[in-house]
Amino acid sequence: MAGLWVIGEVTADGKLANISTEVATLARTLAAEAGKEVAGVVVAADPTEAATELARYLPRVLAVTEPAAADRPWSMVAAERIAGLLEADTVEFEFVGAGPDGRDVAGVLSALTGWGIIANAVGASWADGGPVVEMSVFGGKLTTTSAFTGSAGIVTVRPNVVTAEPAASAGKIEQVKPTGDLAQPTVKIIERVAEAGAAAPIEEARIIVSGGRGVGPEGFALVKEIADQLGGAVGATRAAVDAGWIPYAQQIGQTGKIVKPQLYLALGISGAIQHKVGMQTAETVVDVNRDPEAPIADFADLVVIGDLFEVGPAILAELRARPRPGSA
Amino acid sequence: MHIVVLVKPVPDPASGGERLGPDGRLDRTASPAVVNGNDEYALEAAFKLTEAHGGEVTLVTMAPATGPETMRKALAMGATRGIHVTDESLAGSDHVSTARVLAAALKDVEFDLVLAGVDTSDGLAGVVPASVAARLKLPYLSYAAKIEPDPAAGTVKVRRISPTGFDVLEAPMPALIACTQALGEPRYPSLKGIMAARSKEIVTKALSEIGIDGAPVGGTVATTKVLGSKAPPPRAATLVVRGTPDEAARELVAFLAERRII
Amino acid sequence: MTEPTSATPTTGSYRLSEEQLMLRDAVRVLADELIRPRAAEIDRTAEFPWDVKDILASHDILGLPFPTRYGGLGGQLLTVCLAIEEISRVCATSGLIVAVQELGALPLLLAGTDEQKDRWFPDLAAGRTLIAFALTEAEAGSDASATRTRAVRDGDDWLIDGSKRFISQGSVADLITVFAVTDDDPETPRHKRLTCFIVEKATDGFGVERIEHKMGIRGSPTAELSFRGVRVPDSHRVGGEGDGFPIAMRTLDRSRPGIAAQAVGIAQGALEVAARYAQERKQFGRAIAEFQMIQAMLADMDAGTESARQLLYKACTEIEAGARDAARWSAMCKLVAGDNAMRVTTDAVQVLGGYGYIDEFPVERMMRDAKITQLYEGTQQIQRLVIARALAGRSG
Repeated sequence: MAGLWVIGEVTADGKLANISTEVATLARTLAAEAGKEVAGVVVAADPTEAATELARYLPRVLAVTEPAAADRPWSMVAAERIAGLLEADTVEFEFVGAGPDGRDVAGVLSALTGWGIIANAVGASWADGGPVVEMSVFGGKLTTTSAFTGSAGIVTVRPNVVTAEPAASAGKIEQVKPTGDLAQPTVKIIERVAEAGAAAPIEEARIIVSGGRGVGPEGFALVKEIADQLGGAVGATRAAVDAGWIPYAQQIGQTGKIVKPQLYLALGISGAIQHKVGMQTAETVVDVNRDPEAPIADFADLVVIGDLFEVGPAILAELRARPRPGSA
Repeated sequence: MHIVVLVKPVPDPASGGERLGPDGRLDRTASPAVVNGNDEYALEAAFKLTEAHGGEVTLVTMAPATGPETMRKALAMGATRGIHVTDESLAGSDHVSTARVLAAALKDVEFDLVLAGVDTSDGLAGVVPASVAARLKLPYLSYAAKIEPDPAAGTVKVRRISPTGFDVLEAPMPALIACTQALGEPRYPSLKGIMAARSKEIVTKALSEIGIDGAPVGGTVATTKVLGSKAPPPRAATLVVRGTPDEAARELVAFLAERRII
Repeated sequence: MTEPTSATPTTGSYRLSEEQLMLRDAVRVLADELIRPRAAEIDRTAEFPWDVKDILASHDILGLPFPTRYGGLGGQLLTVCLAIEEISRVCATSGLIVAVQELGALPLLLAGTDEQKDRWFPDLAAGRTLIAFALTEAEAGSDASATRTRAVRDGDDWLIDGSKRFISQGSVADLITVFAVTDDDPETPRHKRLTCFIVEKATDGFGVERIEHKMGIRGSPTAELSFRGVRVPDSHRVGGEGDGFPIAMRTLDRSRPGIAAQAVGIAQGALEVAARYAQERKQFGRAIAEFQMIQAMLADMDAGTESARQLLYKACTEIEAGARDAARWSAMCKLVAGDNAMRVTTDAVQVLGGYGYIDEFPVERMMRDAKITQLYEGTQQIQRLVIARALAGRSG
C-alpha cells in the first residue's frame, strides 16, 4: 500500500497542532492528484483526541499509544515509533510541519531511514511519481522547485501554505503497535513552564502586527491593542526582543521565526534584511512608518507615512467603528 | 568540560548576494562566507560553559577548502582548535550526507556536549542537528534557551522553547543541543583572541580519515534535486498614503477590507 | 636617485587579511559603543580621559605594538594603524593615546636592551603605565639638532638638565623618553650629539611646568616638562651614546603613519557625519544630498580619504618590510593624510552649514582636531623636505 503519510503533531495537552491540519489538507490534495493513498499517524501517550481531529482531514489515521510521550520530547519518541511502522506499511513520502517539532521529527526520521528531506515547502504538486516541492529560499528572494531523487522522502511544510479544510467525511482510526523498543537515549521533560504573554505559535497566525525598535515599550501596548482588534498575533524585530519588550518566541527574522501570514502589519519597522527574510512572503504587507525611505517601502503593499502614536490610535478607532460580522 | 560546536560557513545574509549556481547548488563565490548566525549563539553558549566549568571548545565544520577562513573568527572568539572535514565529493551534499559526515567526524572526538545552531541561514531546514544526534544515539535537546550542565552528576538541563513558554529537559551527557538566540548575544572576539587565532590548530580531515570510505556521500548520492528556480512574482506597486492620521487610518482599514483581510 | 620601493614586486593579496579585518571591526565596535559617547565631553572638559585609557588597556589595544613575550599582541605597524584609525574616527584624542604609547616606546623597541624591555614593557603593554616622547624644545622644533637639553656623566649615572615643550601626554605619562645632548663638541657632527634616555616620572628634578591650552585634541594634555639635575642610571640610556638622533629619526619613520592613521580616521568620521546629514537635511523640498554641489563635495571627501588610507596602508606594509626609503613612505602618508583631514573636515563643516559650526554636531571638533595632524611629528613642510631629500637621493 504505497502512499503518503501525514505526521500528526501533538501538543503537550494531547491536542493536534494546527499546522497538522494544513499539512493534512495539502497531502490529501496531492494524493488525489497522484492517485495514491494518504494516511495520518499520531503518536501520543493518549492519541485519541489528536487522531480524531486528524481523521477529520484524512481517510485513515494510525494511532500509536506510546506512554513514553508523556514525559519525553514528543518529536523524539514519535520519530522512532513512526520509523517502526514503516516496515508494516509501505510509505513513500512523509509530510510534517516545518516548526520546531516537525523539524526535529524529520531530522531523527531521516537519520533512522536514510530518507532525504525537502524543507519549508510553500507549495507542492505531483510529477514523475513524486512530489515537486516549491520552497522559498534566501529570505524569499528566490522560489525553487525540488524533487526527491529516489522513491521516498520527508517534506516539511511551512504554516499558512494552504487553508486547512476537513474532508467530506471523517476517516477511520486504527490503533497500531509499532515493532521494536525505543532505542534512542532518554531525554526527560522535568517541568513545563507557561510564560505570560506567550500565545499560539506565531508562524500559524493569519494576521501579525509587528513592532520594531522605534516603537518603544509603550508603543508595544498599542501594537498589542491593534493585534487584538484584528484578531492577530504580536510579532517583533530582533531589536525589540533584545530590548526585552517581547519574548523571543515572537521574533520574526533571520534568527527568529519565518512567517507567512495573510496580513503583516509592520509598525515602526524599517525592514532591514535580517527582518525582511522572516516576513516578506506574507501575502499582504502594510507598513506604518515615519521614514518614507525605509527599505520596507520597497516590498510593502501599502505604506502609511506617519507617526505610529498618531496613526495607531486612529487605526484602532477606525477598526472599532466597523460593524463586526454578524452584529450589523 | 569539553564541548564541540558544529559551525557552518554560510553566505553573509547581510550581503544580499546569495544565489544558486547553474547546477542548482548554492553559489559560494557570490557572497562572503560568515559563521552561520545561530552557530554563533552555540559558540557563545560553549564559551560561557567552559568559562564556568573549565574545558575546551573544539569546532567541527564540513566545508569547502575555504572553511578555515571562516573558522578563524570562531577561534578568535575563544575556541581552542578546529576540525575541518573537506572533500571535493562533498559539494552538493544533502542533509543526509551532511549528518552522516558530521556524525562520523564526531566519533573520534571527546566531548561532553555537542552544540549546534538550530538552523542555518542558507538552508533553514533545521534538521541536521537532530539527524546527527540520532545517528550517534546522543540525547538530543533542541531549541535551547538555557543550558545548565551538572558535571558531577553527568547530566544537563536545557530549557526548550515551547509555543507556550518552555519545557525543562534533562538528559545524561554526552548530549547534543540545538541552540537559539535566546542563549545570549555572541561576544566580539577580543584583540588577543584575534591575534592568537592564527596560531591555533585547524586539522583538515579527508573522508577516509573520519572512517567514511566505501559508501558514497555528497552530491552524487543526494536524495533531493533542484529542478528549477524563479524569482517570486513581484509585488504590486506600493501604495503610499500620506495625510492626517484619521485619513491615513481610514485608507488603511479600507485597504484591508478591500483585500478581505477584515 | 633612490629607487622607490613601490616598484619592487610584492607578494600576497593586496587586501587586508582576515585577521586585520577582524581586528579593525572589533576596534570599530568598541570605539562606536564605548568611546564615541565620550568624545564631545572630552573635548569640552579638556581633561585626559583616564576612563578611555582604561578601555584601551583592558581591550589590549595599548598592547598592540608590543611583543607577545611582554604581554603585548605583537601587532604589525598596519595593525596598530588600523586601530588608531578606527578610534580616531570617533575621537581623535583617544586615538592619540594609542599613537603616543607606540611613539614613546619605539626607541626602546628599536634600540632597547632585553633588560630595559623586561623592566618597562610588561606594564606598558598592559596599559598600566603610559610613556611619552620628549624630543621637541621651545627652540628646537623642526630642527631637532638644535636641542639644548643636556645630559652629563656623573659616575655611573647621568644628570639631565633642560626643558621640553609640546610633549603629548607628558603630564600623564609614567615614563618619558627624552633626548639630550651628550656631546657638545663643535667638531662632533650635529646628528651625533644626542643620546636617548628613559626618565621615570617619580625621579627628583623632573617636573611638569604647564599644560598648553589647545585648539584641538583638547583631551590630550600637551605639556612643558622641566629637568633639573634629573639623575638617571646608565641602564636608562637607550642605544649608544650619540645614537639619539638616528633613533629619533627611525622612531618618526614608524610613528608618522600613526598620525596619518589618526588623520584618516578623523576624515572618515567627518565624512560619515556629513554624508548622513546630507541625506537627512531637507532644503527646497529635497534632501541636500540630491544637490550636485553637495554631491561633488561628498565625492571628493570620500575619494580623498580613500586615497590617503590606501597610501597609509601601503606605507605601513613597505616600512614593515624594511624599505630603504621608509622615511619617504612615512612622510608621504602623513603629508597626504594630514592635508586630506584638514580639507575633508573643513568641507564637512561646509556641508552642515551653520550646524557644522556649532557643537551640536561633531564636525567642528573634528576640524579643530584635524589641524594638529598637519603640525606634529614634523610639520607638513618637514614632510615635504624629507620626501624631496629622498628624491634627491640623500638620506633624511
